[in-house]
Amino acid sequence: MRAHRMAVLGCTALLAVAACGGSDDDGGGGENAPSGGGGNADTYVLGTTDKVVALDPVGAYDLASQQLIGNIYQNLLSVPAGGNTPEPDAAESCDWSDDKTYVCKLKPDLKFSSGDPLTAEDVKFSLERMLKIADPTGPYTLLGSLDSVEATDPQTVTMKLKKVDATWPFILTHNVAAIVPDEIYSDSEKQPDDKIVGSGPYKLDKYTPNQQAVFSANPEYNGPNKPQTPKVLVQYFEQASALKLAIEQGDVDVAYRSLSPTDIEALRNSNAGVKVVDGEGTEIRYAVFNVKKKPVDNVAVRQAIAQIVDRQAIVDSIYKGTATPLYSTVPSAFPGAKESFKDKYGDPDPAKAKQLLDDAGVQTPVELDAWYTPTHYGPVEVDLWNELKRQLEGSGLFKINLDSTEWDQYKEEAFDKGTYYFYGLGWFPDFPDADNYLTPFMRDGGFFVNGYSNEEVNKALDAELASQDSGEREEQFGIVQDIQAEDVPVLPLWEGKQVAAVREGVEGVEKTFDPAFQFRFWLVTKKES
Amino acid sequence: MSRAGSLRGYILIRIALMVPMVWVLLTVVFLMMRVAPGDPISATLGGKLSPADLDERREALGFDRSLFVQYLEYLWDAVRFQFGTTITDGQTIGSILVENGGATLTLTVAALVFALVVGLPLGLIAGRYRETLPDAAIRIFAILGYAAPPFFIGLLAQLLFAKNLDWLPASKMASPIVQAQAETYTHILIIDLAIDGNWDGVWDVVKHLILPAVTLGLLVMGVFIRLVRVNVGQALGGDYVEAARARGVPERRVVSRHAFRNALVPVVTVMGLQVALLLGGAVLTEQTFSWPGLGTRLLQYLNSRDYIGVQGLITVFALVVVVISLLIDIINALIDPRVRY
Repeated sequence: MRAHRMAVLGCTALLAVAACGGSDDDGGGGENAPSGGGGNADTYVLGTTDKVVALDPVGAYDLASQQLIGNIYQNLLSVPAGGNTPEPDAAESCDWSDDKTYVCKLKPDLKFSSGDPLTAEDVKFSLERMLKIADPTGPYTLLGSLDSVEATDPQTVTMKLKKVDATWPFILTHNVAAIVPDEIYSDSEKQPDDKIVGSGPYKLDKYTPNQQAVFSANPEYNGPNKPQTPKVLVQYFEQASALKLAIEQGDVDVAYRSLSPTDIEALRNSNAGVKVVDGEGTEIRYAVFNVKKKPVDNVAVRQAIAQIVDRQAIVDSIYKGTATPLYSTVPSAFPGAKESFKDKYGDPDPAKAKQLLDDAGVQTPVELDAWYTPTHYGPVEVDLWNELKRQLEGSGLFKINLDSTEWDQYKEEAFDKGTYYFYGLGWFPDFPDADNYLTPFMRDGGFFVNGYSNEEVNKALDAELASQDSGEREEQFGIVQDIQAEDVPVLPLWEGKQVAAVREGVEGVEKTFDPAFQFRFWLVTKKES
Repeated sequence: MSRAGSLRGYILIRIALMVPMVWVLLTVVFLMMRVAPGDPISATLGGKLSPADLDERREALGFDRSLFVQYLEYLWDAVRFQFGTTITDGQTIGSILVENGGATLTLTVAALVFALVVGLPLGLIAGRYRETLPDAAIRIFAILGYAAPPFFIGLLAQLLFAKNLDWLPASKMASPIVQAQAETYTHILIIDLAIDGNWDGVWDVVKHLILPAVTLGLLVMGVFIRLVRVNVGQALGGDYVEAARARGVPERRVVSRHAFRNALVPVVTVMGLQVALLLGGAVLTEQTFSWPGLGTRLLQYLNSRDYIGVQGLITVFALVVVVISLLIDIINALIDPRVRY
């Protein structure tokens, strides 16, 4: 009897707890729940589903880590908000002394959050350490051009390159060149994530991997990017659906990466006190052709596909305002971007495509095996490829056999074995320069080894790398993009906007959306609620 | 052989049997991770670097060596309880256990409490009123609880109680501010908050705990209901119950004192065996609710093909289940000497 009574009491208590939750408004629940920072303007909460690999720059070659690193450390150069070219950050000035020597003069009185001074020795230590540790998950390969680095005096760093490389200033904005303190960091081991020290606008107070990162304004920072909110919490979620609910409930103030287009659209139309902000992004999606494999070894087949694909229809029907059409692999935000595919093919036109195939003596319909992966670029990928299939088959010129595989098998089949000849991929930049959208794809088969090689392309890429004149570089970029549209070794599809959902009263998020792809904590403010 | 000697022998044999069990499991995990396509390097950097660059990084991690060499090294490390550092986020298995074990413990204990508190009375009612409408309703409830996948129940619960009714938080273990302010003593958040006397924080964790604990608890509750129902039914037909009735003991007392108590004995044994079910369910529940436990980490490492993370956590899960099974066997052997022979 007693057991029975206790059980009933237990059940009642549990239900009461659940019911009480409904009327309570002091935390995560309740209609009038304060925003994630507890209604406090001193703190805002950023929610994300990204996963951090490392907070020491030597181990970080992923977007999630870079988002935090960009706020903790300083680089010699960085791309300021809204800009698209590197400008001095920890450096006072940087310039080429000859075509293979780059010299930077540091600002005076820079300090790490530990209080240690930031000197040229720290810069030398950081670059050399990156190459020495060569962490397998790290970005050290980006420093391939570096021959040597010297601290000429406490305020001057001289970097000698193995070859002329106009992208060097851009590489210096990447976390591969983030400056770490030589007094604290080891030159042979990765710094533990909970003992991170930088000289950036924020310092890391507490880090629980995959759960939460707690930042506060770095009192030693004396640069131009003064934090407008003293404390920032980054909250990590497993599921996009949970992140969406968290922003609706007010558990987080900003939901950034990665809500699905459908979630974004739902939040745009909701009245849950949330608004959607967006801005320029540099993520792209494209298709690759293995030009050594039939039937896409025939350039007419590739051109016919380029002639049919309707990018506007793709972004309208599938990406719901979170992407825009891409007419070369270089996103429109970069100097030198050119809409070469639009210039060459104009509006989608199946009749012109038929003419191209007829002129080349290709029998129609052309049967193609197309591949995508649903496990690396998100579930929307299936919609993208079904729409491509619909468009191509709608022309009457193609018969598409669409198939998909898990990312791990996909890469192996696509790159290592070269089994696939028409498949989808995506790209985030390493550094914000058009070169990073052309060299990896167009030079001698690209990183995906698709068999394409063009002497003219290689020459143009060599020329832009060797030139420090932006006009000259843009001209060479144009040449490569035009050849890309002519030969179609890859087919650009869309460029994504950066999108975030923010609670009412949170301002400044849109200011950080630019080609640098860096969420700058210091730009965001929150009104007291 | 004396009684004590026999028990000692039994326990030693059971401990000796654990070794091949764990070895088979370690081998299966190792082979499955290696046979499946992909590795941690290509999972994180595969869409960025050329095959040659990827190979260079794989070599740096020793993945180019023969499987046999890697296997021997892995076993040698496992024997010394050295599971290494995860490749995709640089954590040791020990630090993962410390950071995430508390969350899984909190969730599984709460789920077990829910399953007992709800499952036992319902099982009793179903057993007492066999073949009636309440019995049928409770049985259907139990089957649904056991059969419905936690991620499905979890999503429905989030939709109803978090999104539509706005009663409870949808995910995570605490509000961001509460988590950020908490001092770390035991790495079990709710206890750390209680030590600090932060009762608002404790209440915040309780609210976050309800939906995942109920979701996971439903799974085990189904087992308890069915077990108690059958045992109560059998006990009610027993001679001693008939004798109690014949002595004029009131029916409510017969059920609660005689039938229910006897029906609870196998529940104690089964409760231990449910640990495996709870841990398996916890993986799905944690993922659904972004609950920062070991299950969430295991899925993360599986997705990123992080051999070190998966091998280490599976080994920990296996050891927990094996040790608890051993303890139950020992308890059974102490209670019932027939088990030893």
